Amino acid sequence: MNPTNLSACPECDLLLKPSSPVVGDKAHCPRCGYLLQRPRKQSVERTFALSIAGLILMFPANLMPLVGIKMLGGAKDGTLWSGVVALFEEHLWGVAVLVFLSSILFPLLNIILSLLISAHLYFNRPNRHLAHWMRWLQHMDEWAMLEVYMLGIIVACVKLSATSELKFGFGLYAFVALLIVTGMLASSLDKVLFWRRIGQLRT
Amino acid sequence: MKAKKTALAQGFIRCHDCGCLSKQTDKNSHCRLCGGRLHPRLTKSFQRSAALLLSAFCLYIPANIFPIMTVTRLGVGEPHTIIGGIIALVNGNMAPIAMLVLVASILVPLLKLLGIGLLLLNVHYRWQAHAKKWTILYRIIAFVGRWSMLDIFMISILVSLVDMGSVAQVIAGPAATAFAAVVVLTMLAAKNFDPRLIWDNQR
Repeated sequence: MNPTNLSACPECDLLLKPSSPVVGDKAHCPRCGYLLQRPRKQSVERTFALSIAGLILMFPANLMPLVGIKMLGGAKDGTLWSGVVALFEEHLWGVAVLVFLSSILFPLLNIILSLLISAHLYFNRPNRHLAHWMRWLQHMDEWAMLEVYMLGIIVACVKLSATSELKFGFGLYAFVALLIVTGMLASSLDKVLFWRRIGQLRT
Repeated sequence: MKAKKTALAQGFIRCHDCGCLSKQTDKNSHCRLCGGRLHPRLTKSFQRSAALLLSAFCLYIPANIFPIMTVTRLGVGEPHTIIGGIIALVNGNMAPIAMLVLVASILVPLLKLLGIGLLLLNVHYRWQAHAKKWTILYRIIAFVGRWSMLDIFMISILVSLVDMGSVAQVIAGPAATAFAAVVVLTMLAAKNFDPRLIWDNQR
């Protein structure tokens, strides 16, 4: 038996004949129900476009104030970075590093890697690092937590709204847009197709 | 009978990263498509997952006993534990947000600790029934893991915004580090658990 025309389910290791679902269909593992592939229309093109949009939005979302408060005469603006700094100043280094990684560094790397991979696939340029980038992207996926951060902003705002006046900065709008773009990016990136294209570019 | 259907039982190893199948021989230690290291199952999946889970269990206790943050208003400090923060929200007529925090910071970590524990018991004692349902439990645990970071992000925002000297100040407490460690350790435990072990035991 030739392994190239067979595949296996990643969660139950059932030996399968590779199905090639069309756009709009889903391929599930017959034994455990794992979603094997869900092809998207113009996966490479859309990933390329969305990662450019995401990279542009990263700047206002990170640099401009998200929420500001006014309380008994004092006023303060908060950015993604100021949260990390405040934790650092209170000597909670572990938590500060974790917040930095999951709200700033990993989302940024995620977008940069998607951009690099999809650009190479779009222009059919082989690169010996493609497989490494794709592997890092898959491992990093889970640790970029922008949507959880958004929920954190909402809870914090509700808590503060009782005692102080809140002001939403332009950064927050950019952050919400970034959230939507990264969500679309994750759903447009068809991993099976990407790995197949990377394999084709190699040979 | 069922176990015969797995790719490994038929002499194939699925690459963890790109999903490409390779014949199981002594020579090939790297995937021919992406160059990743080949191993039939995640390395020492059971041991690593159990060790990470045990550490998470130990840290879950300080995470709930010690104050996660101290809210100072007009010079009077008021330490909150995780549960205390939820009770404060309920008393402030913010029940929906209280529910959200309850789910994200109490129920989800508990579900993960118990769920991964049960999955490990399942693998160890080779339980035969409902392999598909166990796989679904694994998927739920892997999906909800990141949402516990909600509390950590909320604290990071509050600490940076509410910093008005003696008028009003929020200081993160020692439980924040412990809780963050619980979230990361349970996420790593879920990532190290290989669901294919459940299916390998099926007769």
